[in-house]
Amino acid sequence: MAAIGSAVGLGNVWRFPYIAYNNGGGAFLIPYFIALFTAGIPMLILEFTLGHWGRSAPPEAYRKIGRKWEWVGWWSSLVPFVITAYYVVIMAWCFAYMIFAIDLRWGTTTESFFLEKFLGVTSGPLSIGGIQIPALLALIIMWISIFLILYKGIARIGKVVLISVPVAWILFVILAIRGVTLPGAMTGINYYLTPDFSRLLDVNVWLAAYGQVFFSLSLAQGIMISYASYLHKKSDLSNNAFITALADTGTSFLAGFAVFSVVGYLALMQGIGIEQLKITGPSLTFITYPTAISLFPVAAGLFGILFYLALFTFGLDSAFSMIEPITSGIQTKWRFTKGKATALICFLGFLSSIIFITGGGLYWLEIVDQFISNFGLVLVGLVECLIIGWVFHLPRLRSHANKTSDIRIGRWWDLLIKYIIPLVLTSLLLIAVYDLLITPPTYPLEALLIGGATPCIIVFILSFFFVRIKGKKEGSR
Amino acid sequence: MTESLSLSALIMFIFGTIVCYGGLLYFLYRAFKGRRK
Repeated sequence: MAAIGSAVGLGNVWRFPYIAYNNGGGAFLIPYFIALFTAGIPMLILEFTLGHWGRSAPPEAYRKIGRKWEWVGWWSSLVPFVITAYYVVIMAWCFAYMIFAIDLRWGTTTESFFLEKFLGVTSGPLSIGGIQIPALLALIIMWISIFLILYKGIARIGKVVLISVPVAWILFVILAIRGVTLPGAMTGINYYLTPDFSRLLDVNVWLAAYGQVFFSLSLAQGIMISYASYLHKKSDLSNNAFITALADTGTSFLAGFAVFSVVGYLALMQGIGIEQLKITGPSLTFITYPTAISLFPVAAGLFGILFYLALFTFGLDSAFSMIEPITSGIQTKWRFTKGKATALICFLGFLSSIIFITGGGLYWLEIVDQFISNFGLVLVGLVECLIIGWVFHLPRLRSHANKTSDIRIGRWWDLLIKYIIPLVLTSLLLIAVYDLLITPPTYPLEALLIGGATPCIIVFILSFFFVRIKGKKEGSR
Repeated sequence: MTESLSLSALIMFIFGTIVCYGGLLYFLYRAFKGRRK
């Protein structure tokens, strides 16, 4: 359940429906499912098995493969820490909007409310501006909530996700049902699902599917390795991977109905085409959706509260799961108590988050997210596949998974981990580099270097630095 | 403005539902069956 909570996050709501719509509508489901079964699930099985076999945090698990690979574990634990720094800020916005929804405080000018009044957005990333007090208060509440969930360890995480994941799902089912009963909803859903099979011949559609599967399942972030290390010795690893992957996909699929039905309604109310509306990222959540909510005939505030509560709940599960690998890594290596390690990481996370609630924060968020997602995560995933596939004896890991799994993994798995997934990830990486080189930069070069390249390089160097610092006697769970 | 789902969208809806939720239910069933053994 914790793994499902981690996999399901904001990306399911504001990325999947848009990517599907942009890449062939309903036809996108075909490459998506193929990507899920040929990359997503095999990688999940890999991470579950590594965590279960190593029975420790990612750095220690990689150390068990070979002492010189410990840095990969630190690297994969530090990357999600960087993501959390801005992810928690988005959670804070959701939390604030949940309160704003009570009296629909955004009024009729949702764009200026979000950008000017709430965020105080400046002219560019290099103009930092001030910190908005409501956003700061919401951010403090977020980090305290994460600390309170994590500091007692996996037992409390288990209790939280047992409630939060089903609650978020129920809320989304309610939202989707309400959405599809609105006038104009079917127009939106037709946009979402009508297949354009000619797009299946486009290689970019396939890469988009692999990219979405990879990001959506929280792969290459040490999270699944960390969670799997707590699993019972007899846990069915491959079945758990299938359940996690399909629950995540099911949520994305459902989110498409909640999003496109409301977008269809808004297009009808405003008498414009759906393509004229912003249907991805923060714009969808904090500009388009509030505009639609304000136009609801009945119980608009209640719908708004439920929507932001569902997002907040999904996001919270992902946010604390991203802190877990680095916390347990520090705990294992330096024998910190869980409370001490969590307090340290949450405090550092809070400090790192502050830049994202300044006037230039929205720009920094976009820059850091672009670099960490396109380069950081893909590189970690690639290195993970290469080390485990080519350095470690893969059949050994496979036989470990098969010992407890109902669904036996064959040699096809080795083939996917060694050849197919690295090939796909290398293609994603090359496309990202190509895009970066040919697309005229939206932001000044110094902003791209500070916000994009620097965090990636710092995280990479820190992972070696952590290996060099002597730890106390290390152990496993 | 259309107020009904097109046939092709309906087919993709059924396809997505069967793979996502049918698959999920199947693996959940296997997990519960395995636990009872």
